[in-house]
Amino acid sequence: MSEERVAASVDILVDGQRVPLSSTATPEPLLVGLLREGLHPTGGGCLCMAGDCSHCLATVDGVSYVRTCQVLANPGMVVERNHFAGAHPPLIPEAEPPTVRELPAQHQWCDVAVIGQGTSGRAETARLRELGRHVVTLDAGAGQEVAGIYAGPTVVVRTQEATLTVHVREEIVVATGAAEIQPVALGTELSGLMTARACAAFHEAGLDLGSVVAVGEPPAGVEARSLKGRLRRCEGTSCVTAVVMLQDDGTEARHLCDTVSFGLGLHPRTALVRMGHDLPVRAIGDCALPSKIPLPPIEGTVCACSGVRVSDLDFVWNNGFHELELVKRATLAGTGTCQGSACLPHIRSFLEAKGKELQSPFTARPLTRQLTFQEVAAGAHHHATPRTPLHEEHLALGAHMQRSGGWWRPWDYGDVAAERIAVREAVSLGDVSTLGKFLIQGHDALEFLELVYPTKVATLADGRSRYALLLNERGYVLDDGLICREHAERFFLTLTSAGSTLGELWLRDWAESRKFDIAILNQTQSLAAINVTGPKAAELMVRAGARSLPSFATHGASKIAGVECRVLRLSFTGEISYELHHAAVDSVRLWRRLLELGGDLGARPHGLDALMRLRLEKGHIAVGQDTDFDSTPRRIAHEWAVKLDKAEFIGKFAVERTNRQPLDRELVGLEMELPAPLEGAPVWHDESYVGYVTSSTDSSVLGKAVLLAWVDLVGGQVPPVVTVGGRDSRRLAQRATLPFFDAAGERARAKVSVRTLRAQLDAKAGAEADVPSHARSDVESDAQSDAESEVVRMQRATDISGRFAGLEATRLAGAPEVLDEALSSLELPIEGFALRFAPDEVMVTTDVATVQTAVRAALSSAAFNTLMIERETGFAATWLEPSEALALLSQGCAWELPSERPAFAQGAAWEIPVKLWFEHHRVLFIVPAPYAADLDRRMFAGAPSASAGATQ
Amino acid sequence: MNEFVERLIGLHWAEPKPAYDVVIVGGGGHGLATAYYLATRHGINNVCVLERAYIGGGNSGRNTTVIRANYGIPEAVRFYQHSVDLYQGLEEETERSVMHRAKGLLWLAHSEMGVRAERARAEVNTAFGAKTEFVSAQEVKEICPQIDLSGGGEWPVMGGSHYRAGATARHDRVVWAYAEGAMRCGVHVHQRTAVTGLLKDGDRVIGVKTDKGPIAASLVLSAVGGQVTTLASMAGLRLPIRSHPLQAFVTNHYGLEFDPIVASADLLFYASQTARGEMLMGAEIDRQPSYSYRSGHPFIQSCALRAMTLLPFLRNLKILRQWTGVCDMSPDYSPIMGFTGVDGFAITTGWGTWGFKGIPAGGEQMALLIASGEVPELIAPFALDRFARDRTLADRGSAGTH
Repeated sequence: MSEERVAASVDILVDGQRVPLSSTATPEPLLVGLLREGLHPTGGGCLCMAGDCSHCLATVDGVSYVRTCQVLANPGMVVERNHFAGAHPPLIPEAEPPTVRELPAQHQWCDVAVIGQGTSGRAETARLRELGRHVVTLDAGAGQEVAGIYAGPTVVVRTQEATLTVHVREEIVVATGAAEIQPVALGTELSGLMTARACAAFHEAGLDLGSVVAVGEPPAGVEARSLKGRLRRCEGTSCVTAVVMLQDDGTEARHLCDTVSFGLGLHPRTALVRMGHDLPVRAIGDCALPSKIPLPPIEGTVCACSGVRVSDLDFVWNNGFHELELVKRATLAGTGTCQGSACLPHIRSFLEAKGKELQSPFTARPLTRQLTFQEVAAGAHHHATPRTPLHEEHLALGAHMQRSGGWWRPWDYGDVAAERIAVREAVSLGDVSTLGKFLIQGHDALEFLELVYPTKVATLADGRSRYALLLNERGYVLDDGLICREHAERFFLTLTSAGSTLGELWLRDWAESRKFDIAILNQTQSLAAINVTGPKAAELMVRAGARSLPSFATHGASKIAGVECRVLRLSFTGEISYELHHAAVDSVRLWRRLLELGGDLGARPHGLDALMRLRLEKGHIAVGQDTDFDSTPRRIAHEWAVKLDKAEFIGKFAVERTNRQPLDRELVGLEMELPAPLEGAPVWHDESYVGYVTSSTDSSVLGKAVLLAWVDLVGGQVPPVVTVGGRDSRRLAQRATLPFFDAAGERARAKVSVRTLRAQLDAKAGAEADVPSHARSDVESDAQSDAESEVVRMQRATDISGRFAGLEATRLAGAPEVLDEALSSLELPIEGFALRFAPDEVMVTTDVATVQTAVRAALSSAAFNTLMIERETGFAATWLEPSEALALLSQGCAWELPSERPAFAQGAAWEIPVKLWFEHHRVLFIVPAPYAADLDRRMFAGAPSASAGATQ
Repeated sequence: MNEFVERLIGLHWAEPKPAYDVVIVGGGGHGLATAYYLATRHGINNVCVLERAYIGGGNSGRNTTVIRANYGIPEAVRFYQHSVDLYQGLEEETERSVMHRAKGLLWLAHSEMGVRAERARAEVNTAFGAKTEFVSAQEVKEICPQIDLSGGGEWPVMGGSHYRAGATARHDRVVWAYAEGAMRCGVHVHQRTAVTGLLKDGDRVIGVKTDKGPIAASLVLSAVGGQVTTLASMAGLRLPIRSHPLQAFVTNHYGLEFDPIVASADLLFYASQTARGEMLMGAEIDRQPSYSYRSGHPFIQSCALRAMTLLPFLRNLKILRQWTGVCDMSPDYSPIMGFTGVDGFAITTGWGTWGFKGIPAGGEQMALLIASGEVPELIAPFALDRFARDRTLADRGSAGTH
């Protein structure tokens, strides 16, 4: 032992005891440190010093199943030998483990990854680099442990700093070499046993090995007595004291020793090659050699990980388990930490001897080197739940936010009853920004909608809207929503909050597959929507400056509280309702102003819970809640929404086919005494189950419970009386006609006279000339609002979320060639840019009016009319320095970034849709504003500071 | 001595015959259980089971071993509860240890909508004999103290449904117990025998072609997983099945401390601890249809994160091995069992992510169908022609993690 070693002695904690570790200037493997103190991590077993076996496992710093030969001993390490003699470590440690630093993910790209940097790996790396290939080298000896090869191909690696994913363009070269074959004999669970290479390594590390005997190839550089014959057994109590050899003449020879070195031959480490068998993976060097099959084992432990002995193999073989895969499952050999690395050659040899057939190795699956949950999850994120522009407003109003339909939505504001009363008796606001919102424009717009909707779109006049179902090819309800016609070549559609993602794919699929001349613009995030609903809704709208209001089932553009809105008159709640669709950036201002103006009318917001109860009183279905994936229009009593006399629509054939089958069940209204039963409660007729409740609420306006339920037909009709509830708690319910409330629809369709309302407002204003300005109506204050709007916009530009600010832009959609022409006509402002999201869609950082003027001047009016040019405030963005941007992206982005500048790229990063604009000296990160808060947190809060990587 | 080495089951292999009364294609749980019940319940033992690789090597050996009946529709609850009951008696009947253990299954809710769904599940399940209770968040903590009720601050547990009869069993041993029982009655099981075609007389199926030669049969039952649409097309049937990969993983072995089966429909994962001490995790099917058994990195990354969110003790546990099965998904998330309209050809398929649970009842009922020629009442709703007749069994509760 050198002077240097003694001087640098440090302590680690082993099984609660301080153990001094001698250490060289460079740290040594933990296993070597433990052996130096006479501590075998698991009590015994042949050590390989190469990560191929499970004999050196220990719990290190709270993590069990650590191969101590593969980690370096660091001062202060806490080691527990709870793998001793095959014991399992506790699932949940008694002491809270030290907080392990969250590992970041890292992504690298290369032409070739070379795994293993032994002789052949180094040579191949040099050769490939000479050929100009970009090579990433991965070597366990350098602390890069490969956990698996996956499709891509990608290689997942544990490094000291991160969980690294290497994305490979051409091929993976596996140069992992060969493992030494483990001895199988009685007594191999003793300590003092090691492979020849391990023996050489321990000797070199200065361990005192005592008297060494060598079975097979002797260890390099170690003084050892070479033994003849075949290994019979090892003897000793805990440490080996002798080894017994079976000699050629059949006699046994016993050799005293302190250490046994086993040079039994090499077995190529093919796990990664087998794992990547259908990927571009190439084995070289020892790894590509044919397996050496050892002599069939006679007795002793074959699989130390699972404690399987040769006698166990014999037992299951004799019981008919002959396939390697069955033997593995019947004994569990090969299913432990080393994943068969140690036992596979012996089992194959055993089976070959028994069955006279050498079977292929069993399947290799990730992970070849185990990772902790934390290491595996590095870089993973939960599905981000988007927030509407009013999210913070809801929180400020005390809303109880819930994930629903894929969004954060206000479930209630603390008093559902009051919210319901406000809608029925006064006026209330609801945030319906989550609705899917789509513009369809082009020559074939009408023809396209006639195909995808079962209603007759052609009969819809300009300026009118209609509720419509969307059916799939099986004739089942896919979604529902509104069709609003502006003119024959331009429509605005809404889809449900939960259904719009699938709905968009659905619409685009049909548009593309049938080659319709249309463009589709998804405005779901671009537009916020507020539903102003209640008997006093019109009054509030007039106060907010509405000069005219659309009548029922129509829509129009209007300035409300100074905000440009598309106003849709419709009703889900059963009261007068105006749905105000407006630029996302204006939503907070509009919401606040409406609440302010409606204060004395009793205006308050309502949440999703109130909304779902209110619509139920009206018998309106909620797709997804009341429908299932086999709901035909007939079953949900929506045949009126399906026009079978149309020539074609998606689902027509299926609807006709299912209509020929006798009707078996229907979604019907039921009413019963309070309290309302649970949603999902079974419905019974006599003793037979006939269906279940899909929606249920108490109704204070009706004084009873009202429900929607699936009910089977009995004797050809829905039974007029059923029971509802569990087997022991059933109560009577009657079939009811829908809607339960305001059957004539007088409330929802009530006629509104803007002139009368304005006259009343003017009279009131005259009488209360001194009311504070904030409560005054917005009728005369457009100019003021515009000014205010600018202020709000400026403020917002800094406060969307953390480092992300709102982006003011214009989105254009249309035929690719028309877009090309339009773009060439645009002069982008200094520092401006145009981002081509898709062949038929582009976003430019020029304001919408300028774009319109420029494009109108450049294009023929026919071409101009096919284009959609819309204000876009639904994105947030932040500029970053290239170095910071690339460092962050190497953690959060699993796809390869462009290298040219400028460049545009888009895809998921941090599990969020991100668009990236690379300029020479900066990078713009653009994100849909509903995800800005999550992206901000994921990008910046979780990022390690520059010094976090260091452990000192 | 390793207590997990199979000590009781003996498999007896026979030479193939040119003809059998019944040829069952697919040596997984369903095929072997059908053979077992044909032989033990109906005295029909001139039966062979053909397996292209080794028995139990498909989804029977790739599932997460959960046995439950808390489904969403009465037809399914009845069927699976019968299967749960048969599982309970399986060790006694076969005199073999399948390591069956009732653990209770917790299905957690993290939102108001989730609470409604779990309350509804409890109602319907209980009404049809699969007793299930809605439990509060505090009760969840009592049943499973390791759960972080705050869900990492992001996915708070608001309650859940608790199905006490939820159990697990060692999947391979179930397969082998049925195989051995069938073999003892004279059933032949032929491994490494791939079916390459069907023998037909006109439209009627009269046997199978295999890579080892033709085998005639009065009836061919497809109990194939994964490539079932290929086999059915040989009989002239177009099945409404899409096959999707389903992945799972286990940790290394740890002390036995985690008792229940825990599932979360919002976080899309489920977890239990095996008798050997591995934490066993599964999640939702892959969206992209495929027959690939390749394991994926995004899956394990995401599932590890989701599981850790509710079970923070997992963070330092080592993940040992991941694998993939292929699930045959029907349009209504319910299995397809019965005659097919093609003479001489019956089918049991559409086992999605619920095949292991259905092995005993599926095998028993298919055997009854074959022996009697009549469709048993318990599986009548699951007939293939339900799709043409618009009598699908929409079962939102079936999968749970879709």
